[in-house]
Amino acid sequence: MTTAAAVGSRKPWRDAAGIDANLLDIENLAVRFELPTETIRAVSGVSLTVAPSETFALVGESGSGKSVSMLSVMGLLPAPPAFVSGSIRLEGREIIGMPARELKRIRGRDVAMVFQEPMSSLNPVHRVGRQIGESLRIHRGFTKAAARRRAIELLDRVGIPSAPSRVDDYPHEFSGGMRQRAMIAMALACEPKLLIADEPTTALDVTVQAQIVDLVREVQDEYRLAVVWITHDLGVVAEIADRVAVMYAGRIAETGSAHAIYRSTRHPYTSGLLRSIPRLDRPVTTRLAEIPGSPLRVAEELRGCPFDARCPLAGEGCSEALPELEDVGADRHGSACIHHHEMSDSSDLWSEGSVTGEQTMSGEGGDVVVSIRGLRVHFPVVRGLRRSGSGVIRAVDGVDLDVRRGRTLGVVGESGCGKTTLGRALVALVRPTEGTIDIEGNPIDHRSGRHRRVVQMIFQDPFSAMNPGMRVGDVIAEPLRIHRLGTPEEIRERVSELLAQVGLPTDAGRRHPHEFSGGQRQRIAVARALAADPEVIVCDEPVSSLDVSVQAQVVNLLADIQAATGMALVFIAHDLAVVRHVSHEVAVMYLGEIVERAPRDQLYREPLHPYTKALLAAVPAPEPGVLDAGTRTRLVGDLPSPEDPPAGCRFHTRCPVAVEGLCSTIEPALTEAAPGRWVSCHLVNPPGQQRP
Amino acid sequence: MRRRLDVRRLTQYGVVVVVAVTLNFLLPRLMPGNPLVLIAGVDVGLLSPDERAEIVARVGLDVPLWKQYLRYWGDIFTGDFGYSFRSSRPIVDMIWDRLPWTLLITGLSLIVSAVAGVILGAISAWRRGTKTDLGMLSGMISIESLPSFWLGMLLISIFAVQWGLLPSSHAVTPASGLAGWAHMWDIVSHAILPVVTLSILATPGVYMTMRYSMLETLGEDYIRTARAKGAGERRVLFGHVARNTIAPVVTVLALRIGFAFGGTVIVETVFTYPGLGRLVFEAVSGRDYPVMQAAFLVFTAAVLVANLAADLLYPLIDPRTRTS
Repeated sequence: MTTAAAVGSRKPWRDAAGIDANLLDIENLAVRFELPTETIRAVSGVSLTVAPSETFALVGESGSGKSVSMLSVMGLLPAPPAFVSGSIRLEGREIIGMPARELKRIRGRDVAMVFQEPMSSLNPVHRVGRQIGESLRIHRGFTKAAARRRAIELLDRVGIPSAPSRVDDYPHEFSGGMRQRAMIAMALACEPKLLIADEPTTALDVTVQAQIVDLVREVQDEYRLAVVWITHDLGVVAEIADRVAVMYAGRIAETGSAHAIYRSTRHPYTSGLLRSIPRLDRPVTTRLAEIPGSPLRVAEELRGCPFDARCPLAGEGCSEALPELEDVGADRHGSACIHHHEMSDSSDLWSEGSVTGEQTMSGEGGDVVVSIRGLRVHFPVVRGLRRSGSGVIRAVDGVDLDVRRGRTLGVVGESGCGKTTLGRALVALVRPTEGTIDIEGNPIDHRSGRHRRVVQMIFQDPFSAMNPGMRVGDVIAEPLRIHRLGTPEEIRERVSELLAQVGLPTDAGRRHPHEFSGGQRQRIAVARALAADPEVIVCDEPVSSLDVSVQAQVVNLLADIQAATGMALVFIAHDLAVVRHVSHEVAVMYLGEIVERAPRDQLYREPLHPYTKALLAAVPAPEPGVLDAGTRTRLVGDLPSPEDPPAGCRFHTRCPVAVEGLCSTIEPALTEAAPGRWVSCHLVNPPGQQRP
Repeated sequence: MRRRLDVRRLTQYGVVVVVAVTLNFLLPRLMPGNPLVLIAGVDVGLLSPDERAEIVARVGLDVPLWKQYLRYWGDIFTGDFGYSFRSSRPIVDMIWDRLPWTLLITGLSLIVSAVAGVILGAISAWRRGTKTDLGMLSGMISIESLPSFWLGMLLISIFAVQWGLLPSSHAVTPASGLAGWAHMWDIVSHAILPVVTLSILATPGVYMTMRYSMLETLGEDYIRTARAKGAGERRVLFGHVARNTIAPVVTVLALRIGFAFGGTVIVETVFTYPGLGRLVFEAVSGRDYPVMQAAFLVFTAAVLVANLAADLLYPLIDPRTRTS
């Protein structure tokens, strides 16, 4: 795998393996969508092969063409507007142009698919068992009763407890993780040879994601399945993939064995993706390496390299000709970069900041800006469409926190743990049931607009958090106008300043939100939050809806702004690596309570609470072989309902080290285990020693 | 799984009933002018004080308002709506005479428009964006904008006047002495034009809802899942699309029943059809307030019953709305 071997090899990249050995053989695939206003070239010139029992990862950001390529393998793209050309051979049979009747026989029997959103991918009006048995009824002529029996076996196989009693449930009666298990059972029903998994874990929590990854690996061995795993998450890829193709702008940028992709990266885009995600196994740096700009949407026929404008290696020849995949190493390692010989295993194209100092003391930093004491937020339960309220959801159930000036408090936890409600209570969007929130010593004011100047919020989805009818300038100016901060002239000036501060051109103010990409829109949201000069900004999953290559830009922007203004940040996220990168102190939430709170480096180096340990163990490292999956503790099951939290320690139902009789009866208090380190666990703080 | 309406829902229905009855009670009493003038006509000035008192007592206006209100509730429960100002007949009898005719034509037109709207809407959605779809869509929009009296008169002038195929008015041929099958046909032939008119007018609403609902369903992820399993078009359509599509349509149909009763006022008048709508028209032109009140109560009851039916039906279609 030397650079020398790759130099000069300019012959068109070819698959070295024999075609007959391949289960799936895609050659020169192109898909274009002819829309009324424009033609989108979603996929061009994609060639790849998948061998039997192999795990092939197709990696890319949204719009890179990864899902579209695989949907065309299933013949599931509607024509019009989709037009597919090239060749897709499944066990030697050509899929493109195959009559609908034959295609139908392949779907679900030879190739099955698992989708991203298990809730919306299951029919809400049919029982789970019926949906699992459906392909058996279609392809194998099973009777209703036989299909149901087989569905029970399959549900049992994918780890649904007491499958015979769950087979007649409806999808809404399953939890998110169980639904995805049911989807996998459905895909396995006819024992297909190829399983296409389209972002199957993206909508799931990290602990459930780990369970699903394990499950797919198990059934893959058992059924001798080939798996094509479509994802944007390089961590998951490193954990499961044999071979990888990285897609950009509808083309394959780099392909090869997982090992080669991660260790001997030969495309600047792949290396950018790998460098721009924060990693738990590396020291925290002041800045993340960021890829400038945003992913390309291809409408015109490309003339040069699609990555040209964002690439640090861009130079001679890049804009003149479309780069072809070339052999750059052993084991069919190909790169579509004409400058790939300038890269080596140790080269660093992307600049990162320096390693930051250790964050140890929680009391460090400025004075306390926000002080939360005994906060509870309970919501009445309204189930179904019109069941009357009976219980309460204890979204936040007794939280004490301080946020200091110039510091970032990270809040992590699985979905449903109450972290978003906590954030909303902070900006007075929900009223606490109990407890106090003081901002600079004054209790928060729920009369509209009063305290909202000093606490501002950045939401997860910048697309829906902005009025599409307003111009960007007005979006940013609105807080200034609401709080009457200046004359129209002053406001105009302030808006230009803010646009410059978040890295947008001044004329952006005259345009509408839909004219901007996701990353740019999140910049606008940052500018809006900054406008009224708040003391605290609450960021609720600010980067999770953004493309991987853009996340780093927003994370860096927030860091820059904090450095410049000394503002306090509350950073709410499910991504432990991102939280580690941005935070000074981290609080871990479980079922409405904080189970552990500690300075960042201590928490990540030596987590004390079993839940924190399990969360950290579930995060895949974006490097093959770094983590040995077999030795990791896996959390079982899903988050219990916050309506009826378990007695005693709320985590005891899933805790691998719970002590019978103690953890299930006595609720542990959040206690200082070491200076600055607060944990609520009987095993860390034995009950006799707890100070109230 | 047991299904029942919960207490809150039933309370909502109760509140609606109380509000409707109370408004019905208050409205005529809020009218300006002396009620005696309404009851006895302009000659009321010629009556002696005793005669006046007797009339006031007969219609129950001699007691305080709250007693009148309680008595009104009592009357409703005993089915006593009082007497018509104009004909002096018991209003209950008048309503019982008219109700079957209205139920006949609204019932038939609801069935026809529901079937037509659902089928045409499904075809339109299945062939979305094609000429068939766009043609049907623009046709339905045009029909939607037709005034009902104009459509009724157009049909009369074509089928009754021009071609003489069908009768233009009444529910039966007056004094014909027909019996048996001939009588049945007489009723049917009289009902055809009003039913057709009402059906044509009600179809676009059902069609639009059906088309929109089905387009939504077709775009759902689980339809893609069904196709990925190898389900054919027929299986996708009847196994996965149909039931998910029909749920919102049922709600709209229930609301339509209210419109259908309201729509009979004009259509029954155009066809001189002896139903409730025509009764309302007569009562309005004759300022026959007690009749109007009673008819409105019947309309309210019909809307509530239809909504109740939709509420009971919905959980059968969509398991997510079931109470465990």
